[in-house]
Amino acid sequence: MSLTLTCPICGKRNGYEFRYGGEDKGPRPAEEGLSPRSWCEYVHMNKCVAGVQKEWWFHRDGCGTWFTTHRNTLTNLEVEEPEATS
Amino acid sequence: MIGKNTPLWGKKTRLKSSYDAVIIGGGLHGLATAYYLAKEHGMTDVAVIEKRYIGFGGAGRNTAIVRANQRTQQNVPLYKEALDLWPVLTKELNFNLMFNNCGNLNLMHSEAAMNAARMNVATAQFHGVESHLLDAKQIKEMVPALNISEDITYPIHGAMYHPPGGIVRHDAVVWGLAKGAAKLGVEIHQQTEATAINTEGGKITGIETSRGKIHTPRVLVSAGGYSAGIIYHMLGIKLPISVLTIQAMVTQPLKPILDHVVSSGAYHAYANQTLKGEIATGAHMDPWPNYTTLTTAYYIKHQAQALSEFLPCLRGVKFMRIWGGLADMTPDMAPIMDGNDPIDGFYMDCGWGYFGFKSCSAVGKHMAAYMAGGNCPDILKPFNLRRYENHRLMGETAALVNYTPDN
Ligand SMILES: Cc1cc2nc3c(=O)[nH]c(=O)nc-3n(C[C@H](O)[C@H](O)[C@H](O)COP(=O)(O)OP(=O)(O)OC[C@H]3O[C@@H](n4cnc5c(N)ncnc54)[C@H](O)[C@@H]3O)c2cc1C
Ligand SMILES: [Zn+2]
Repeated sequence: MSLTLTCPICGKRNGYEFRYGGEDKGPRPAEEGLSPRSWCEYVHMNKCVAGVQKEWWFHRDGCGTWFTTHRNTLTNLEVEEPEATS
Repeated sequence: MIGKNTPLWGKKTRLKSSYDAVIIGGGLHGLATAYYLAKEHGMTDVAVIEKRYIGFGGAGRNTAIVRANQRTQQNVPLYKEALDLWPVLTKELNFNLMFNNCGNLNLMHSEAAMNAARMNVATAQFHGVESHLLDAKQIKEMVPALNISEDITYPIHGAMYHPPGGIVRHDAVVWGLAKGAAKLGVEIHQQTEATAINTEGGKITGIETSRGKIHTPRVLVSAGGYSAGIIYHMLGIKLPISVLTIQAMVTQPLKPILDHVVSSGAYHAYANQTLKGEIATGAHMDPWPNYTTLTTAYYIKHQAQALSEFLPCLRGVKFMRIWGGLADMTPDMAPIMDGNDPIDGFYMDCGWGYFGFKSCSAVGKHMAAYMAGGNCPDILKPFNLRRYENHRLMGETAALVNYTPDN
């Protein structure tokens, strides 16, 4: 199944060079008026989509870039950015 | 004859349009809960809905290790109860679960690790779980195959020894529970996928399946690694779960050389010898969420390297099979068991990661009590979902397992 990811700087590389950085949850919520609940939502909660998700990666054993990509969790393959569904 | 039309657990029944309770997922937790609902609460109008076949999930893929030397005071009693239940269930189900209480030897590779183990041992002993420390010499006497020399990557300092743990035949647990539950009237429907959960005014009203609609006031989602995805997809409830692939493999059969479960956190490897003689060994998880259950050459190499260091007699031995399954990991390495919040009649039992086999007997018992009476048994209370927003994570791991861009 080996995973291949496309780093925006280094190109296609072996997945074991990267560190997964979580589902994309949008910008970090503002400190002001932040409730324990919305902080928890941002820090811990996931959708665990069986399909295409937008996610963060860090090229740990490479150039050190953080980037987002779209990957199908059912096939473990990167996909072109899907058309917006919502 | 057990064949295409006669399941092992009894007669095939027709899917009805209504049940007192519906359980999504024919794995260990679903079957155990169904069994105890019928046995201890007289609730026999229960359907277990299984997308593929019983045991398709982690139930049929795990490495069958059982133990009760966990880290926190909330977890140890639950796992102890589960461990004590194997001989009881073997009798009760009249099914040989092949409990081999060979003991678990958890290797420590530094003085710091020995200190951490001291705390675990103290917790275990406080809760009446047999556990103690061994030094390298004692380990060598117990398992001569282990390499205690200084010239390996992580020399062995000592170990945490837990005599009552060991191995239980995982398929037998699935079959025994299915048979036991069906005998009491529970229906098991394979090749039936739950596709939606229906609610009305904050209450469960039923589910949709690939074979039609079912009315019910109670639904348990115990779909193993698939639970978090299902719960978000069907009810919009997000869980603090990451679903990763975990792999395991077995070698060619050998004469008896290893009569304990041996594990090492530093090497990310554990191994035991099955009754057939194979060395069954598991590794760490691929650190990215996915539902493929596919295997990688990476872990075959990783296992070969690790085992040939601390069990050097295995050098040159061939792997026969490798497989993967899903592990639904939570940040505090403890499961989520909850009910009636925020939907009346909705229960969940997930986030078991790679601990869902050893726990299934006791959890089935308590989840059944929860579903039958509607009140959460005390022993399950600390495992609620709200602990995360209340900052009451459980500390089953010293460092949080987190897959977010923030760390
Ligand atoms: C390689 C590996 C090694 C492991 N080793 C150990 C170990 O040594 N000790 C230990 O304690 N644990 C171990 N585990 C973990 C353990 O196997 C799981 O935690 C456990 O199986 C979870 O049980 P479950 O009943 O919740 O789910 P599962 O056994 O995974 O069952 C869930 C079932 O739900 C079904 N399902 C999914 N979606 C639907 C749907 N929409 N409708 C209907 N049915 C559905 C699936 O087909 C599946 O049969 C290991 C796991 C793996 C993969
Ligand atoms: Zn790069």
